[in-house]
Amino acid sequence: MAALADAGSRNRPSSLRLTQRLDTRVRARADGETTGRMALIIEDLHKRFGSVQALDGISFTVQPGEVFGFLGANGAGKTTTMRIVLGLMKPDSGSVTWDGRPAHDWPRRTWGYMPEERGLYAKMPVVDQLVHFASLYGMSRQRARTEAREWLVRFRIADKANARLETLSKGNQQKVQYIATILHGPDVLLMDEPFVGLDPVNVAMLKAAFLEMRDRGKTLVFSTHQLDQAEELCDSVAIIDHGRLVTAGSTRDVRRSTGHQVVRVATARDDQSWLESMPGVTVTRDGVDYAEVQVADGLSPQRILDAAIANGPVLRFEVGDPSLEQVFVERVGALEDDERTLAAAGAVA
Amino acid sequence: MNRAANIIAIARREFTIRIRTRSFTVGTLLLVLGVVLIALLPTVIGKIDTVDATKVTVVAADNALAQRSATTISTLLNAGAGAGQSGSSAGIGQPDFVVSIATGLPAAREAVVRGEASGVLSIERSADGTLAFTFYSNDPASGRTASLLQQAANAIAVGDRLDRLSIPASQQATLFSPAAFSVAWPDPARTEPIQGGAAAVGQDMLAFGMTILIFMIVIMYGNWVAMSVVEEKSSRVMEVVLNAATPFQLLAGKVFGVGLVAFIQYAAVVVAGGVALLAQPTIESVVLGGAASASMVPQGLTPGLLLLFGLYGILGFLLYASLYAAAGSLVSRMEDVNSAVMPMTLISTGGYMIGVYASTGLLDARSGWITALTFVPFLSPFMMLGRVSTGIAQPWEVAVSLVLLVAMIVVAIWVAARIYTVGVLLYGQRPGTRAVWRLLREGM
Repeated sequence: MAALADAGSRNRPSSLRLTQRLDTRVRARADGETTGRMALIIEDLHKRFGSVQALDGISFTVQPGEVFGFLGANGAGKTTTMRIVLGLMKPDSGSVTWDGRPAHDWPRRTWGYMPEERGLYAKMPVVDQLVHFASLYGMSRQRARTEAREWLVRFRIADKANARLETLSKGNQQKVQYIATILHGPDVLLMDEPFVGLDPVNVAMLKAAFLEMRDRGKTLVFSTHQLDQAEELCDSVAIIDHGRLVTAGSTRDVRRSTGHQVVRVATARDDQSWLESMPGVTVTRDGVDYAEVQVADGLSPQRILDAAIANGPVLRFEVGDPSLEQVFVERVGALEDDERTLAAAGAVA
Repeated sequence: MNRAANIIAIARREFTIRIRTRSFTVGTLLLVLGVVLIALLPTVIGKIDTVDATKVTVVAADNALAQRSATTISTLLNAGAGAGQSGSSAGIGQPDFVVSIATGLPAAREAVVRGEASGVLSIERSADGTLAFTFYSNDPASGRTASLLQQAANAIAVGDRLDRLSIPASQQATLFSPAAFSVAWPDPARTEPIQGGAAAVGQDMLAFGMTILIFMIVIMYGNWVAMSVVEEKSSRVMEVVLNAATPFQLLAGKVFGVGLVAFIQYAAVVVAGGVALLAQPTIESVVLGGAASASMVPQGLTPGLLLLFGLYGILGFLLYASLYAAAGSLVSRMEDVNSAVMPMTLISTGGYMIGVYASTGLLDARSGWITALTFVPFLSPFMMLGRVSTGIAQPWEVAVSLVLLVAMIVVAIWVAARIYTVGVLLYGQRPGTRAVWRLLREGM
């Protein structure tokens, strides 16, 4: 299932993605002066837990109205950074500002948080707890009730409104968790691994909800180690490893940050030994649908196309930027095997 | 403004989810039922007593002796029971002992064998004129009936001897009238009326009962608070809540929400108990017959004492509940709650035990160390009422202990909020004392 979602996202026409990106940029520019300083600016965060340096100088900027991916292996410091942004934890040093003011000076309703360890009241009816959370952010109970029901209809769990949470399936509980995060209309959404534990149908539903939030002008930050999700959704990303920032910037810039391009090629023949035997070519992704290769300096991608034509009908040939996953592997090193398994298992569960 | 609103919202959730549970409904009903039963205990005992009224037959050589003996037994035994315990049925016209006179001993004994009477008291006069008593009964010789009849027999024998010494009946009465005896303060300056023996027992019991109630409030609802904290931690809902509300709001909301549940449950119990107590004489007269006696409001139950009971109950709960919440915030699993709240359990149990021992007279409530302990904030909720109800405590002492208690609550809430702030996001290993101290000093 994970592979299916994976392939789907990669095969999505890039022109559509490009249009969406342009939309965002244009919108950001249209907001003009305000957006320049409205950013969420994280500056030089340090945090130590006993002997462990959890954060060691994390800095990045999230532009308002964008979807920002926060990438890193387990234990890289994603959750700690988010907790500090939300003021649940104090950094040893460093600062977080939103629109020029310290993040903790903003009213709590500015922030929406979906923790990695999902948490809701197991024995409380779904609508009651959504209303409870929204009322803590200062929303009127009546309005919260109405809007909660609208969201439940949207996520096709309207019939569960008065059921106790523990009677819902895990996927449906996740949907309730998401509604609890956004119901009070926060300007900034921070979500820790939002896609873990969702099946492809629910992932698609959640992605659509993300894009809708972005179109409403909300700023979304989410952490993930499913890099294909980030590549598909995020305008910008930051990669962190062991508490240090590896790279940050627009998704395109980050993908270009390796300084080289990759070739994606597919022929009608399943046998790809011709490609592997070519001098100066390293296969970085050996998929059923297409292969991704890195080409040594001085070797023209044109040579690969020639070889591909010689080896059967060419289904795909593309010279482009490396995938985020490729960048991640190059800059940080491969994710541990068990993390991949976890991510995949999470996507299927 | 938002601060108070959040505390109310959190308290509201704690309150509604609790009163909606079946265990709350059942628990409250059981408590109310228990209290009503206890309040109506005199009627219940009376009912059982009347069913078991002891029938005694007197058989004597001459009729005059039999008559007099029957009267003596009846007056002595029924009256004696009446004075000894206030819950007896003596005042309702239902005697414990029904005495009848028979002439034939074999027939009377036969009646006892058949179970128609409890026993036969046979009185015979020997050659030298003294009386000899034999009690024929299936009851054990050392039983209550036999020993009571022995007392009656002694009285009859003494009366008979006095008769034979030709002392008139009128003088016999004065012979046995009780001597004047009173208890007074050793300190001549003290003028307030000294507590009578029987009344003091009643007031001890009153303070004893109130101390039990306060102890139960602290232990039971304090544990609820701790468990509710751990529940939020173990279900990880804590982080979601903490993004919306501060740890202090969460702590305060929990304590107030659970406190309101406690208040309602206790109000139900106190009202039910009070109504049952006031209605008890009426119910008694209906069930047992006879005229309704005066309502049985316990002696010494003044509005002031009730107010102090409420104050110490509420303040004691606030003090302990905030610490229970802090303790709960240090553990991540339900199984660890008990060990985390152990310090509070030990201190409250200690205070409760000393308080109860002092108010029931097992410890001297006037001794210096007990007086000193009644000022200690963690102990005063369990100890001061005993001294108040028996009139030992001076008003200024009560005031000082209340001020100390309130001051300690402020400190406890500050400490608890700090521990809580750090503890709620702390998962995994339970921190030791040193770690908690470090967290307290450094904050997050």
